[in-house]
Amino acid sequence: MTQRYLILEDGSAYAGKAFGSLATTTGELVANSTMNGYQEIISNQIYHNQIIVFTQTSIGNTGLAQNAYESVLPTAKGVIVREYENLATDHFKRISLDRYLKRHKIPGIYDVDTRQIRRHLQQKGNMKASIVDVADEHAFDQLHATVLTNQQVAQVATPKPYPNPDEGANVIVVDFGLKSGILRELSKRDCNITVVPWNSTSETILDLDPDGVVLSTGPGAPGNLPESVLQMIREVQTQVPLFGIGLGHELFAMANGAKISQLRVEHHGSNHPIREIITNEIFFSGQEQGYAVDSKSIDHAKLFITHIDLVNGTVQGLRHRDYPAFSVQFSPDGAPGPKDSVGLFDDFTEFMARRRDNNGDEY
Amino acid sequence: MGKIILDKMAMQRALTRITYEIVEKNKGVEDLVLIGIKTRGIFLANRIADRLQQLENVTIPVGELDITNYRDDIEHDSTSSDVKMSNNKIDFSVEGKRVILVDDVLYTGRTVRAALSAVMDLGRPKSINLAVLVDRGHRELPIRADFVGKNIPSSQKEKIKVYVSEIDDKDAVELIK
Repeated sequence: MTQRYLILEDGSAYAGKAFGSLATTTGELVANSTMNGYQEIISNQIYHNQIIVFTQTSIGNTGLAQNAYESVLPTAKGVIVREYENLATDHFKRISLDRYLKRHKIPGIYDVDTRQIRRHLQQKGNMKASIVDVADEHAFDQLHATVLTNQQVAQVATPKPYPNPDEGANVIVVDFGLKSGILRELSKRDCNITVVPWNSTSETILDLDPDGVVLSTGPGAPGNLPESVLQMIREVQTQVPLFGIGLGHELFAMANGAKISQLRVEHHGSNHPIREIITNEIFFSGQEQGYAVDSKSIDHAKLFITHIDLVNGTVQGLRHRDYPAFSVQFSPDGAPGPKDSVGLFDDFTEFMARRRDNNGDEY
Repeated sequence: MGKIILDKMAMQRALTRITYEIVEKNKGVEDLVLIGIKTRGIFLANRIADRLQQLENVTIPVGELDITNYRDDIEHDSTSSDVKMSNNKIDFSVEGKRVILVDDVLYTGRTVRAALSAVMDLGRPKSINLAVLVDRGHRELPIRADFVGKNIPSSQKEKIKVYVSEIDDKDAVELIK
């Protein structure tokens, strides 16, 4: 097997064996500690321009299922695993992890102590990394010189609107690089979905006569998006029920005056207990976050904090005091991770139903 | 054994939604009082009060309303002196308050009509809103709920049964054919 290297911005290098594509790539290094769901993780567009380190020791041993992709075109920059299995469980016994990564030009390295890398990141904080053939001075120079894009959303979000028809509530999903799990959960509730580009104006959205609007998950920093997105949110939230998830949650917070800060180490996993404040219930959920809402910056006359991460204290959920507009940092759709909080989609459909019953005159 | 329409989690979520909507509509919790209609409405009112406590760190008074004497399907002897005797437990004044009436099921509207009369006899609230866990339709009076946990369109032949863990063995809403 070809030997390849994962080299880190701080000068460290990890030797391992190649699988998947043999491309040379550079991205932000993030560690994911979720025990299952590698397929959902790799295909989630939130990992655009990132190299994913799996701390779960064996990856690829369940095959890939046609109903578990979180996007059609994954754009992660690499997959680092301890041990990889090349099992195909699809109908034609074709799609193994290796084949999938080759098809999408994503390089992989195995036989690396991924938990050591995770610990290293925990100590040193977020950093860039490259997957290269030779870990020499030249490779490190290249890595240091590489400037990663801050236009992730524009690169992965749909440039054109598209429908996902059904016969229920009319939902507009604003795509910041969404994961399919959001569409799946809305479809289960019969929603007639239109996915619109991230830079759609409130006028465009409201002209589609929505019963509700979803702000999707997505990659990168919310601060890289223009003020016009926040303006859209401020106008839409006064008109129809609004549900923000992940990046959508961060944007909802910013639109209502809160500040966002970058986490020293990105958190990707489903091992943090989350407390719902109103009921004091504890649950778990998939979390993929590099940023968090700064709790001190929240204007309590406008927003409730609804959920808190009990390990790092980060704000995990918000709700507007005056409108049925709410948001969560975590992934209530699971995919992967626990589905403890999937009922948030029921809350959203109930708020939409209520608005329809009242002909909107509650606003 | 009927079909479960709302399980424990769904019931909790419905009460949580109602709580947020109460704060939303009243622009806060100032002058708010909750009055539960016997029997299960009282437990639901207490749960909403618990949520408001968690959310706003305020204790909202909860009253218990017994509407027996106001029911329109019981013949009252107007000469009897105990007509207005009731088992209400409302140790606060409703004068000038924003009253939220809480009941488990909204059906014909007759219970709510009776509750409105009973509350009015206690004083003159600033407003009265109605919160129900389930609205099953088939109103016989011009009454609507302001806060609904779940709309369950039902046939009049069916029965809706609400269980609360405080006095029943579980939290659930069942539809019995």
